[in-house]
Amino acid sequence: MIALMLAQAPDPNSLAGLTGLAMKAIFVENILLAFFLGMCSYLAVSKRVDTALGLGAAVIFVLTITVPVNWVIYNFILREGALSWLGMPDTDLTYLGLIFYIAVIAAMVQIVEMAIDKYSQTLYAALGIFLPLIAVNCAILGASLFMQERDYSLAQSTVFGFSSGIGWALAIISMAAIRQKLRTANVPASLRGLGITFIVTGLIAMAFMTFSGIQIK
Amino acid sequence: MQFLRNLIEKQRKLYHAPDAKLHKIWPLMDAGETFLFNPDSKTPDQGPQVRDYVDMKRVMMTVIFALVPCLLWSIWNTGAQHFAAIASMGAAEGYVAGWMQGLIFGDGYAPLGTATDIIVFGLQQMLPIIFVSYFVGLNIEALFAVWRKEEVSEGYLVSGLLIALIVPPSIPLWQLALSVAFSVILVKEVFGGTGMNVFNVALMSRAFLFFAYPAQISGDFVWVAGNGPTKLIDGYSAPTPLALGSAYQVPEEAAKDVSSYLHESFSWSDMFFGSIPGSAGEMSVLCILLGAALLIITGIGSWRTMLAGVIGIFVGAAILNLFDYSGLYSLSAMDHLVMGGFMFGIVFMATDPVTCPETTKGKWIYGLLIGILAALVRVVNPAYPEGTMLAILLMNAFAPTIDYFVTQANVRRRRKRLG
Repeated sequence: MIALMLAQAPDPNSLAGLTGLAMKAIFVENILLAFFLGMCSYLAVSKRVDTALGLGAAVIFVLTITVPVNWVIYNFILREGALSWLGMPDTDLTYLGLIFYIAVIAAMVQIVEMAIDKYSQTLYAALGIFLPLIAVNCAILGASLFMQERDYSLAQSTVFGFSSGIGWALAIISMAAIRQKLRTANVPASLRGLGITFIVTGLIAMAFMTFSGIQIK
Repeated sequence: MQFLRNLIEKQRKLYHAPDAKLHKIWPLMDAGETFLFNPDSKTPDQGPQVRDYVDMKRVMMTVIFALVPCLLWSIWNTGAQHFAAIASMGAAEGYVAGWMQGLIFGDGYAPLGTATDIIVFGLQQMLPIIFVSYFVGLNIEALFAVWRKEEVSEGYLVSGLLIALIVPPSIPLWQLALSVAFSVILVKEVFGGTGMNVFNVALMSRAFLFFAYPAQISGDFVWVAGNGPTKLIDGYSAPTPLALGSAYQVPEEAAKDVSSYLHESFSWSDMFFGSIPGSAGEMSVLCILLGAALLIITGIGSWRTMLAGVIGIFVGAAILNLFDYSGLYSLSAMDHLVMGGFMFGIVFMATDPVTCPETTKGKWIYGLLIGILAALVRVVNPAYPEGTMLAILLMNAFAPTIDYFVTQANVRRRRKRLG
């Protein structure tokens, strides 16, 4: 299958094509370390590994739901000619994309928030304000916009949403583990907190360039 | 000795007391003193602390000793490759001596490629690299030590030599200085100095060079050092085995075996003993194994990481061999092992006790993933011919994560056992 992924461009909706897309979204074009999307909650909630795991899971969930839902909205309501099933083939509502996407994301985040509140009070308390703030996490909106720009199919957008979330979670978990280790480090006073976190992010991104350049067709 | 001792005793009152004249720079004085003599202040015999003779200075010196074979080989091979290039170009005419050759042989020097010629050229090329690496790095360390009011730590002694050994022998010295400054400040000192860094200092400085000045650290023209001002052999193409392998296009009718193609240019023993073009000190597997033996016997390098890394590259090569593919895909694991900087990386970089996982299980996982990733990047990623550097850096980033999950698994297991 890997051979298929790398040799010739396989059918993008086949298993090989989707696996290639997933690998690309997780490693080669990691949404955080290559595009630097979703930095705010990444920097703020990466102090402990267990909260990072929780937020990572929440982001994976929200991304996996919102990208395909937004795909449906885009393809059946917004894009040019999408409303032909209503007898309006000339309407182009693409300019409403941002508002629709944000609305869907906000609704999903509400659901996640209620679920976490019910099932894990500790995680709810630990995530605090950053849970509702997933709604404005640019990684989530970014994934939907990438879906629109790259013209993914439904299967592709589901896989893309899920694996973008995995990539984001991977980055925040490694960051949280590093920050836990750095808790005892003698960092200069002026760099403590966000300063050193930015430097570490840059260095991790440099290490992630391991994968940049891999051609997955 | 007594003379030196007296000298230091005399100087000490200038800086030791908090109100002394030179107290601000006592870390520098202290570094000089502890470099020459055992410090007379030591941890008391009573107390709960670990009492061992292997302090950081000894650890660092052991690694330096382990690096000596590679260092000697880097001097020899730099010279040997240089004269081989001249011989193959037939261009000994108009040879202009470098600074050291001029100093030793005088004007009108015509090289014959004898052992003396080779060693002198190697020294002429390597000594400035080592000097610049140490000079820049240690000065920055000293500055930070004075600023922090801490003792100068010995950590950079190893990193400095490692950096000199993993850059091409033709590296421009200003670039080297820049990369050393980058990695000492941004990879080490901002994290709190020796023992606190998350990424390997030497590798980060090479990665910095690699991304900032790719023309001077990759390609086919940088691995053999030219002779100073005249650039007699400038433009002499000497691809490393890895570059040669990845450039290999399989003709339709030929067997898809890159190993035998490669062995036409470099035999396996060439690659094992290290008489191939490449970064200064990482070519000879034999020298690296000598160093590895010392590290393992003294218990300073983790044999688990090394073994796991070697297993990892075998696994990676085996997976890649499964594909009915041309080029590097069909490269055998034994070739992977002796080519490029893998052995050097896994012995001297991956075992860095600061940046590798602390748990035993974690070390196995870490080494294994480095091996697999290194093989994968070499073969699958067309952007980089060598993957060891980035594989280790990537696993550096995940080492704390591995540790976290191994410890959590331990906690869970114990909790279950103890109810």
